[in-house]
Formats: sequence, C-alpha cells, structure tokens
Amino acid sequence: MSCLEAAGVRKRFGGLHAVDGVDFTVEPGELVGLFGPNGAGKTTLFNLIAGAYYPDAGTIRFGGDDVTRFPAFRRARLGIARTFQVVRPFRALSIMENLLAVVASEGALSRTPEQDALQLLAGVGLADRANDPAGSLTLGMLKRFEVARALMVQPRLILLDEPLAGLTDGESAMMLRLIESVKVRAAVVMVEHNVRLALPLCDRAVVMEQGRVIAQGTPAQIRSDPAVIHAYLGDTPEGG
Amino acid sequence: MTLILQLAINGLVFGSLLGLVALGLALVFGVMRLVNFAHGEFITLGAYATYLLVTTTGVSPLWGIPIAALLGATIGLAVQMLVISRLAGRPELEALMATYALSIVGLGLFALAFGGDFRTYSAGPAGNVTLAGVVVGWRSITVLVACVIVGAATLALVSRARTGLGFRAVAQNREAAAACGVNVVASERLAFSVSVALAAICGALISFIGTTTPNVGHEWLLDGFVVVIVGGLGSISGALVAALAIGLLHSFASYFLDDSWAQIMTYVLLYVALLVRPHGLLGARSAT
Amino acid sequence: MRFAAITVAAAALAAVMPFAGVSVYAGTLVYYAAYYLVLGQAWNMMSGLTGYVSFTHGALAGIGAYTAVLAINGGWPITLALVAAVAVTAFASLVIGVTSLRLRGTAFTFATLFFQELLLLGVRKLPAAGGAAGTTLQEILPTSLPHVLMVLTAAGATIAFALLRRSRTGVRLLAIKGDEDAAAAVGIDATRLKIGVFCASAALCGLAGGIHALFIASLHPESVFSVDTSIVALAVPLIGGVETALGPVAGAILYVGLREILQIVAPSLHLVIVGLLILLVTLFLRDGIIGAARRLLQRRRTYRAALETAR
Repeated sequence: MSCLEAAGVRKRFGGLHAVDGVDFTVEPGELVGLFGPNGAGKTTLFNLIAGAYYPDAGTIRFGGDDVTRFPAFRRARLGIARTFQVVRPFRALSIMENLLAVVASEGALSRTPEQDALQLLAGVGLADRANDPAGSLTLGMLKRFEVARALMVQPRLILLDEPLAGLTDGESAMMLRLIESVKVRAAVVMVEHNVRLALPLCDRAVVMEQGRVIAQGTPAQIRSDPAVIHAYLGDTPEGG
Repeated sequence: MTLILQLAINGLVFGSLLGLVALGLALVFGVMRLVNFAHGEFITLGAYATYLLVTTTGVSPLWGIPIAALLGATIGLAVQMLVISRLAGRPELEALMATYALSIVGLGLFALAFGGDFRTYSAGPAGNVTLAGVVVGWRSITVLVACVIVGAATLALVSRARTGLGFRAVAQNREAAAACGVNVVASERLAFSVSVALAAICGALISFIGTTTPNVGHEWLLDGFVVVIVGGLGSISGALVAALAIGLLHSFASYFLDDSWAQIMTYVLLYVALLVRPHGLLGARSAT
Repeated sequence: MRFAAITVAAAALAAVMPFAGVSVYAGTLVYYAAYYLVLGQAWNMMSGLTGYVSFTHGALAGIGAYTAVLAINGGWPITLALVAAVAVTAFASLVIGVTSLRLRGTAFTFATLFFQELLLLGVRKLPAAGGAAGTTLQEILPTSLPHVLMVLTAAGATIAFALLRRSRTGVRLLAIKGDEDAAAAVGIDATRLKIGVFCASAALCGLAGGIHALFIASLHPESVFSVDTSIVALAVPLIGGVETALGPVAGAILYVGLREILQIVAPSLHLVIVGLLILLVTLFLRDGIIGAARRLLQRRRTYRAALETAR
C-alpha cells in the first residue's frame, strides 16, 4: 500500500486553476522531490496534502485512510508532519518547549518526551540551544529546528517546504545531510526551487507546470526530459 | 397599517444611525485591521458636546453636527498619534486591550463629568408632519437626512481615487504600501480621524432624538458591532441591509414587547451570525 | 515545589486572619485581594495563555453567585450549592466557547462582550432570580466562612496555574497564542483545547462567584453583572504580568491597595486610573510588573557578575 495517494486533486483560487487534476503517490520510505517553475502549483499541492486547505475535487488517502476532509491537526496525528517555507517557530517559547508542544502521532506516544526532544535537537546540532527562546536563532538554525519539530510528531510522512530557501552554502550542505538522515525515519516530500542541489537526493522527482504534472521519474530521467527542459527554459518568458 | 408604517419609519431612523456607527467601525477595521472598542466613547463625546453647546449657548442643535465632527477629528487624530500608532504590528491581544482601556478611560471621564443623569434638550426643530396618516417628527426627519448626507460624503471620500487607493493598499500590506510610495502614516491618521468624527456626528444626532448618558455610546456600539458582524465587513451594501434590518427589528420589538427584548433579540443575532459564518467574521485574518 | 509551599504558607496566614483578631477592615482587604486573584488567575489561564481576550470573566462569576444563592435558598447544603455554581458556570461558558472558539481572532472577544450584556438583560427578565430587584441569601453566615474558602481557592488557583503553565498543555496553549497554523501542523487540536481551557477558567470563576455570594449575601443584577468586575479580572493579570503565576498575585495586591488609596483621595477617578494603568502597561510594560522586576534583577545580576570579573 502506498504511503500517500492523491487522486484527481483540483484546487482553484478565483479563476486560477492552481492544481488542475493531479495524481500523486508516495511510497513508504521514498523521497519525492516536487519541482516546477514559479506558480506551477507545487506549493498548493503541498498545502493540500498538509491540510492547510481542502481540494475542490479529488481524494487524498494516507496509509489507506481517506484524509481529504481532515483538518491539519488530525493529519499530523495520523503521521503527516511539515515544515514551512517561511519558518514559523513559536517565538515566545524556548526551543525545548517548541518540541514539547508537539502532539505525537497516534501509537507513537513517548514516556520520555524531554529525552526524545534532546536527541532530535542533538541530531540537528541544536542541543546546546534547548533552553533559548526560539526567536533568538538564526534562519539556518530555525530551518533545522523546524525539521526537528516535525520529527517530534513521529511522522510516517514529512513534508519539507523549500528547506534550502535563504540558506548559505554551508547551511545548505548541512540541510542536505539532514534531509538524507530524515529519509531513514519517514517518507519525504520536498518542494524545492534549487533543483541542482535537491534533485540528486531524490528517489523520484515530480515536475509540475500550470497546475499539472508534466513529468516524473528518476533524477536522470527528469534531467533529460524535453518537457521539463521546455518548462524551465521555455520560449515564453512569462510562462509559469 | 398606519402603526406598521409608523414603526417602519422609526426603524428606518434607528437603522440609518446604526449604519453610520457601523461605517465608522468598518473604516478603521478595513484600513488598520483594528477593532476599536473605544468607538462608543467617541459617540458619547459627540452627544455631550452637542448637549453642552445647545444648553450653554442656545444655538440650534444642528450646529452640534459640524462642531462634533471637528472635535472628533481633532481628538481622533491625537488618540491615533498617541496610542493607536504604537499598536501597528503588535499581537491582537495588545491592540484589543489598548482600545478597550481607552474605552474604560472615556467611560470613567464621562461618568466623572456628568454623573449618571439622563440629559436632554428641547431646542431645535420641533413638531410633526403628517404624511398619509403617519406622524413623523421633524427631528427624526432631520436625523435621517443628516445620516444620508454624512454617510454619502464619507463613502465619496473613501472611494475617491487617491484616498481610497491609499486605504486599500495599507489594508493589504503596510510595508508594501509604504514601499510603493503610499503615505501609510497619513492614511492611517486620516482613517482614524474620520472614523472618530463619524462617531461624534452619530453622538450629536443621538443627543437630538434621545437621551445622553455616559453609557449611551457603549450601547450604540454594541448594536454597531452586530451590524458589522451580521452584514459582513467586506460589503458596504451588506452592512447597510443589516443596519436597516436591525433598526426595524428594534423598532417593532420595542413596541410589541419592550426595549430589553429588542436588545436581547439583537444580541442573540450576533451568536447566530457567529455560528453560521464558517470562515470567521470580519474576514478574519486567516494565515493561509 | 518551593513555589507551592510559599503559596500554601501565605494562604494559611491569610486564612486565619478572621480568627486572629485582625481588624475587619484588613480582613476585607485580604478577602477582596483573594477574590480578584481567583478571577485574575482564571483570566490568565484563558486569555493570558491563548491570547483570546475575554471581557466576561466578571459575569461568569455572577452566574456562580446567582446559582449558589438560588440553590442555598432552595434548601441545598452549601457544598452542593458551590458544586452547582461551578457546574452551571462551566456549562454556560460553552455557549460562548462553541459559538466562537471554532473561529480565529476577535470572534471570541465579541462573544464574551455580548454575553455580559445578555446575562444582565436576561437575569432582569427572570422572575426565578428575583428579576430586576435581585435576590438575597436567606441564611445568615459568618463572613469567616467565605473568607477562608476564598483564600484557599486563590491559593489553589495560583498553584493550578503554575502547574498548567509548566505542563505540556500549557506549552500547547502558548503555541496557539504564538501561531495557530503552526500549532495545527504539529497536531494540536486548537479548538478543543481552547474550549477546554475556557471551560476550566469559567468553572474557577463560578466557584469564586459562588463563594463571593456567601460574602455579600444580596445580589443585584446591575452590580453582579457590572462590567467593572470583568475589567478587574483582566486588569489584575495585565498589570501584574500575564503568562506567569506570580503576575496576578502582584496585580491583585496592587489593585486592592490602589483602590483603597483612591477611595480616600479621588473616589470618582477609579475607572479612569484603572483604564490608564491598563493602557500604559499594554503600551510600555508588556510583561507587567513581575516581568519588569525580573528584568531588573537580571540586569543587576549581570552587572554584579561583570564587576566580579573586572576585579
């Protein structure tokens, strides 16, 4: 059984078909990259999976359950965790408290949440900042902190929204290593603009344009796909 | 039939005043995303100003309208610069508390200055006209006409290209508006000042047909909130319909039951509106 | 633990006042500080932690007061009457919670504002509650009973708040205040949590109101459901400092002291001064007196440490 199965998903904002009939699956343990030019609909698809809003048509199944109309918190409790494109820590809380606020997914309840949290923080190199307010971290730290907070959910699927955006080269390298280690714990869907850095990490890549999937396959297949090259380089400058 | 027409006209007068209260609230919320709990005290201000003007100088209460407007605009500007301007970008809890605190201060000041007495005056237009058997007081007609003129003038100002565009830009995004050359500070000052002037004009008109107490503005503000929430802040026509509907409800319920039942029914409407509104009221700032 | 011990000791000291020959005047001041402390902690639980502002905590206490008096006059024992006060108030709070806490932002504040007004209008129409004339407790009780009960409730509320603030539930409530979408993304059911904590907060108000009814003995709708009590309930934690257990303690003591001084100096300025205090604290002292004191202590400590290293 697939981990995530979205079928015929549509979402319209006003007159714009942001996601226009997309089928999208993620197998357990798989790292899927979601690429496409600006406005292709990948962030909308991402938010439909996370439950930030509901699709106008189509179904989303997670581990066999129909979650199409589940609110975001219920999906998190089933094991879908996410990070945000623009980081959203609970700024007034300490790093530790940020992780303790997390409600672990069903069946993953821990007796030692503090220890789990410390371990996760150590994994992202923030163990020594556990008691600092989240507002005091740099952007690079916050991006890694959000991954740790998402892992605290004990997810089966983790959604990374542009994990490399705004990072320096050094921070990006650290994040890439972190994403590889995340893959061991859960299936990953990653939306990312930096195709060059992110594509090699993927087991499979899906490319969207104008609300539709125009190509999918292994990184090598994607690199040589003419539709993809056209979408990115294109001949219409305002396309996408 | 005559009775129903009579009540309908009373409702119309009440509703048009409510519409003006709601317009002031909507203006500040629309531009600054601020719910001004002190709006009621600015209504009270206009009412007492007019009362004092009429009882001390003996001029026609119609003079209260421009005087209240001027006073409101000035005090509104001062309050905006001293308090409201500091609230931009603050969490909602703090903005709410600040305007609520202003309201408490205002309430305290009016109670201190005027005590709990009911104040009325008899100067100004008097007598009735009879139209098709319906007796309408000249005062009511004056209030109705004044509401229409002031409301139309405000809408004209807001929809004037430059002002309106500035307001809409600030409402969308302060920083972006500033970056595009919109004078954010001036827009916010103007919006708040006009809103308070509107409240004060409402107060002047209310003193004309009703009694003035330290609480009068607070009571009108509550009805104004119901109008704004039931009608939806996004649409002016929605608010207008809601204002007239609540005006009529008030008029009929007061006659057939009593004043407090009219109020109870109006306030219950608010809870109904909350229940049936799926995506929050006032176009609540959802983060998505 | 140390915090709980100090609270209990202070409460024990305050509770024995009526029996230790302390003047009635001083006893009354302590009683009112305790009453306002309970309301303040209740407000702190809901509005301080979640950021959803309630304008109705005084009216919630009013429901408790009316329930207790009606129950005792109906022949119920005092304990049961207080239980009823808690239950009825908690149930009434659901009217606000269910209609408005599904929504974000100001909807809740509006629901509380109108709840206050509706209660006053409704109780005046209710013949069973004595209508506009109000109602009176038929049994005559010594004031030492409500005094002891209120002080104990205040201590209990303070410890309960401290425990809640440190628990994972408390952290989750603060997460909702910080960013409700991010809270949902980590599995927090904000609606349920908000309704739950509001209900608990209302129950506490109901208890305080029930006890207060034993103290004042006669209820008039205008004063029981006066906005003033709701203002005190939010002024106490705001002035002292929200989000902390100690804030409302400082706020309650300060408020009662200030009220006494104003009573002598300028009785009619009471509302104006309270309003100004809330305004100033909101604009310039966001974490209240306790927060400011902490920052001052911190600064002195850093200064001392710097002196040490300089030597």
